[in-house]
Amino acid sequence: MTAPHPTPASPAAPGARPCGCPDYDEARLALSRRALLGTALAGGAVALGPSLTGTGPPAYAVTGRSAARLAAPGGSVLVILSLRGAADGLSLVVPHADPVYYAARPRLAIPHTALLAPDAMFGLHPALAPLLPMWDAGTLAAVHATGMAAPNRSHFAAMEAIEDAAPGSSERTGWLNRLLGELPGTSPLQGTAMGNQAPTSLFGAQPAFVVGRVDQAKVAGADEEGRRLASLTHAWRGSSRMSRAVRDAISGAQTFGAARDTPAGAPATAYPASGLGQALSDVSRIVRSGVGTEVITVDQGDWDMHTDAGTLEWGDMKRNAGDLASSIAAFFADLGPAAERVTLVTLSEFGRRVRENDDYGTDHGFGNVMFVAGAGVRGGRYYGSWPGLSDTPDADLLVTTDYRSVLAEVVTRRFGVSVAQVFPGFAPQAVGVMA
Amino acid sequence: MTRFGYGIDATLARDVRRAGGAPAWFEQQLTSPGSFPDGAADAVRRWWPDLDRRASDLWQRQVQEVRGGWQVMEDYGRWLLVRRIRTRRPVLEKMTEFWEAMLHVPVSGDAHFTWRVDYGDTVRRHALGRFDELLTATTTHPAMLIFLSAATSTKRAPNENLGRELLELHTLGAGNYDEDDVKASARILTGHHVDLWESWKASYVKEDHATGKVRVKGFTHTNRKADGREVTREYLRYLAHHPLTAQHVCERLATKFVRDDPPRSLVKRLAKVYLKNDTAIVPVLRALAASKEFRSSAGDKLRDPGEDVVATYRALGVEVGRPSRNDSASNAILWQASRLGLTPHAWPRPDGTPVTDRVWASPSRALGSMDLHYSMAGGWWPSEGIRYRTPRAWVSSKKPVRFEDLVDAVSRDLLHRPASKRLVQTATIATGCKAREKIDRDHALYQWGFPRLLAAVLDSPDHLAC
Repeated sequence: MTAPHPTPASPAAPGARPCGCPDYDEARLALSRRALLGTALAGGAVALGPSLTGTGPPAYAVTGRSAARLAAPGGSVLVILSLRGAADGLSLVVPHADPVYYAARPRLAIPHTALLAPDAMFGLHPALAPLLPMWDAGTLAAVHATGMAAPNRSHFAAMEAIEDAAPGSSERTGWLNRLLGELPGTSPLQGTAMGNQAPTSLFGAQPAFVVGRVDQAKVAGADEEGRRLASLTHAWRGSSRMSRAVRDAISGAQTFGAARDTPAGAPATAYPASGLGQALSDVSRIVRSGVGTEVITVDQGDWDMHTDAGTLEWGDMKRNAGDLASSIAAFFADLGPAAERVTLVTLSEFGRRVRENDDYGTDHGFGNVMFVAGAGVRGGRYYGSWPGLSDTPDADLLVTTDYRSVLAEVVTRRFGVSVAQVFPGFAPQAVGVMA
Repeated sequence: MTRFGYGIDATLARDVRRAGGAPAWFEQQLTSPGSFPDGAADAVRRWWPDLDRRASDLWQRQVQEVRGGWQVMEDYGRWLLVRRIRTRRPVLEKMTEFWEAMLHVPVSGDAHFTWRVDYGDTVRRHALGRFDELLTATTTHPAMLIFLSAATSTKRAPNENLGRELLELHTLGAGNYDEDDVKASARILTGHHVDLWESWKASYVKEDHATGKVRVKGFTHTNRKADGREVTREYLRYLAHHPLTAQHVCERLATKFVRDDPPRSLVKRLAKVYLKNDTAIVPVLRALAASKEFRSSAGDKLRDPGEDVVATYRALGVEVGRPSRNDSASNAILWQASRLGLTPHAWPRPDGTPVTDRVWASPSRALGSMDLHYSMAGGWWPSEGIRYRTPRAWVSSKKPVRFEDLVDAVSRDLLHRPASKRLVQTATIATGCKAREKIDRDHALYQWGFPRLLAAVLDSPDHLAC
């Protein structure tokens, strides 16, 4: 058995470094081409003049970039926040009125008295306190007992299935990619994934931009004449995956200038120094810059708590739930007036088993909770119908609301698209979470 | 050579010539990697002394805030990258990387980092051996036991984490097992123990082992003894020899070395070789390299972030020294890989670094690669503890060279192939030089425009793919 243990903080993600590890760009700034080129523009551009012929002195200039704001700013934005590893919805939104919950989880159960925003059935984990103002203001809701039609306890198969969202179809397209196909915008940034890879939900015919950090989304060495971009475009003619990625990168980076020029916000509720906090701070810059992004994916990891999910005093649940809550709270505070346009949905590949295991953790399960926050949400309440829990070694929370019903309600209300195009063959049930 | 290596450089070209050509070199790499002296790569281990500390020692140092585990793991990533730049045994190194990614234990993790270097060393010992022995060594290794929650799993409520991923990721593959298999798998593995947060010693605790009949697929065992180590060994041997495992392993190999969604017929042929040879790895690699699918797909696979970084260092022929400061190249190399999307074995999920192009062909990766190539083409970053070649290496002081011939010379040097027509055109666009223009040491290209030419070569599909 694992005892609760104090562990020194170690950064969860690159970028969440304590000092002593210079940020790449900073280090580069210090060691930039200044010595060589007499310019202090780290990562800035070097214009070569008309050509390299002759021996005239080179001229240096800042990169010219397109400041065009493509889509009309002011449209709806959807942020899909994936809780990777299968979050324990029974800890995040606790069914305190179901006695089985307390019987099945003698050590992990959250005491009734500690719950926030309780109603007759549910209450929020105390680590979600930063979200209380949104809950009270009616801009945050939870839908419980959601998930896929059939259980699938494989992380990877479940993630793919939930992100394709087209059971029975052999086509490998993600539901967000299909949504993009229905939206009229033309920005190369219309669909953007925060991180290093596009998730399955964005795979498909529509281009998706992928960005690790906003400040790095530029073509190094782009020059005033556009020679570097022209040569890259020439080198990567063709239809291979990478050719497309290079071209998307070039057009995306050009359009991205306005986002790079938009400073990071400093909301009253500060962003945590976590990977998620950083990513949402960048998402806010993208939204506020008006570069035409309409669909954005963000990930939060570390939800696969087979061990050490812990209690109210210690453990991974308290830490990760707190990170989730303060990141989302900071994000909406940071958006300012743009918050009127942004809806955020959390989604996990599946939930956890009802009964706790021997390691202060839980194994893979089925039904789960989804949070819906921001524009158009009828918040401050819990949605879904509760199936009741059972306490056997293999019992799961059953699914009473198909997760696609929640997503369908969000995208039809916020984007005016039809369900049939995004979720082929699916007949959604009314959830009521969206106005 | 390119796919089973980390990029051709002068040393590799010489090794291949000495061996009598690529097929003979590959055979020698498979069967006697030791015949290639590897002192330069081996010496690198001493650059980061923490890599050879014991688990309990590493933990003490973390607790006392002498050095955090994450810093030791950064050293581990650096060591791997620099080792890959220097090694003369690229096939062994590549297969170590392949298995270490498939039988994945991430480098981040407050508990298992203590055993992570030893885990990698264990994989390297078996990388060209037999899969059944490799699987037994990795599944019962403290790092794996800790990472997938088996180090504290007991008969009271067996933890399913390792039991499941062993079936899904390491052997049979997704969809080839059911929930009863997972439960039996988890029960078999109970008893293996690691003393977390204290001594970090691995042991077997008979009282924790779940006895009683178990069944996973076609494997059954009475499992009467409190000591379940025998059952574990037989179970893992059974899994390693299962046709679905053969299929799963060979599919991943073909995906890594041939293409995404590899031809089924190739996977089937390789699986047959795998089973016929009692899970020995070398015959499978031999069959893979000899296949027409492998030969006809040369240059089709995208290099992943780590491979791109290492190939760039090798192509430019830069020399990296022992780190002496924070921003020494041998330290900064890790941030370079991070900027491209992933540092060695830092993939956060249990399914390990992806081997599909689909994942790595992303706009952020493209921007990262262009940034890496550009900053190294100019010798701007990293700039400490590293020696770059200058344009002198390509432009002689004696006689001017035509631009197209210069592009060809640079291409032969960096990529070990003549410049394609497209590359010459690309270089022309990138620099503004005309194909027949004469370049000498007074020319602007030599004086200050050379990084644009080198970057154009490094940014070409010929360098990004292998």
